[in-house]
Amino acid sequence: MTERVRLLDTPWFLKLAAGVALLLVWELAVRGLAPAYVAKPTMIVRVLATVLSDAKFLSAATATLTAVASGLALSVLAGAAVGMTMGRVPWVELALRYYVNSLFATPMIAILPLLTLWFGYTGDARLATIVFAAFFSITVNTCDGARAVPHEYLEVARSFRAPAWKSLIDVVLPASMPYLLAGLRLAAGRALIGATVAEFFTSINGLGYYILFNSRTFRHNEAFVAVIVLVAAGVGFEVLVGWAARRFMPWSRRA
Amino acid sequence: MLASRWLRLAVVAASIAAGAALWEWVGHRTSGAFMAPLSATLTRIGQLAASGELFGRAGSSLALFFSGFALALLVGAPLGLLLARVPRLRIALENYAMVLYATPMVALIPFILSIMGFGFGPKVLVVFLFAVFPVLYNTIEGARSVKPELIEVAQSFRSGEWQLWRDVMIPYTLPYTMTGVRLAIGRGLVGMVSAEFFLSPSGLGEEIMMGSQNFDTSLMLAAILVIIVLGVALIDIGRALENHFARWRGLS
Repeated sequence: MTERVRLLDTPWFLKLAAGVALLLVWELAVRGLAPAYVAKPTMIVRVLATVLSDAKFLSAATATLTAVASGLALSVLAGAAVGMTMGRVPWVELALRYYVNSLFATPMIAILPLLTLWFGYTGDARLATIVFAAFFSITVNTCDGARAVPHEYLEVARSFRAPAWKSLIDVVLPASMPYLLAGLRLAAGRALIGATVAEFFTSINGLGYYILFNSRTFRHNEAFVAVIVLVAAGVGFEVLVGWAARRFMPWSRRA
Repeated sequence: MLASRWLRLAVVAASIAAGAALWEWVGHRTSGAFMAPLSATLTRIGQLAASGELFGRAGSSLALFFSGFALALLVGAPLGLLLARVPRLRIALENYAMVLYATPMVALIPFILSIMGFGFGPKVLVVFLFAVFPVLYNTIEGARSVKPELIEVAQSFRSGEWQLWRDVMIPYTLPYTMTGVRLAIGRGLVGMVSAEFFLSPSGLGEEIMMGSQNFDTSLMLAAILVIIVLGVALIDIGRALENHFARWRGLS
């Protein structure tokens, strides 16, 4: 009897039970209250394999995830450069602070119509949206990191007569890396949202458009598979960044 | 840091002037369908304000934002506190809350549109979905930081359930909830504009769409500028709240 009570109290059992309960509530609520086309767990499981092996779906997933990855890469390069400069050069920080902070606070989706005007209804507009969504959070965080470099580190570098560019690469860059990664995690979530919204807007091939098209034709179960892939991409990236920080940056305790 | 206060002010002023000049110049150099000069945008904002349209639009957007945001607070904070008090429930649900926190909620808009159609309700739901998980997740984080000894001490002094909440649970969790509130403001604004774009058009979002469809760039930029100002103001309020309550974190 005590054995059984202990089993029911283990964390994994609680989590599993809660997961089953949530799916059950979803299934029953949709069956009882919603029209037949609304997505429900049993139907999603049934279409999962078909959708995941469908060439159209795969090309949509590839298009979105490639755009997000290249947009994030661009944002990291540009954001690290601008952020480090802002963090180390006071007048640059003063000059750019208001622009960076207010564009960081801007709901990026608001400028989407402007970006489609400039870049057309193309993949370029999507890439621009992703970069706009991701760049500022990386810049703001890298700037904080570059400013928080302990003074002693730079003094040691100077007393060993390291040239300025060397102490930038060997001291400031590694010291701001944990901050940059924190910005990157935030940026990844924003980039996924940016890509999805841009695809809604421009109707170019991608997971966002896949969702839009299938939900319009009342194939919600198929569309929901795309949502699952987006969530998996977001969570997967989060795990990857956390792992990379622990593996390659032992000096970052929380990033 | 730069030495003189005046020098700092001068740098800020010069950078704002340079940005304004650049906007003006680009606006004049390119076709009106691509970019409107800053002066034309500001004139447009003036006209919209004079006709009262601006306040109607902004009011409609803010009503949407605050309805969804208030709902998110009313659900997220109490639910987070409940999970704080019942550890088994917290262990069972916290991973699911995290996954939902990481979900790009914007992807659910087409489903909401085809199930619930147009109207105010579905739009509030969108803002709610964007805003509720940062509040819930950060409240749970705060709840985990409440030391079990504090609850034990309170109970050994025969605190009732209500006193326990008032004196221990809520004060210790609130600073974390406020971090969630700040994040929820930013997300809620994205939800607000998304709902106005993709569900029934209204408010400042509709203004941006109208500008973009009619190649009326100054209208579009005027609405974007107003949204930026609103966004910055709301997030500053959120940050001030967060800092105010963050002082409590030093209590322990």
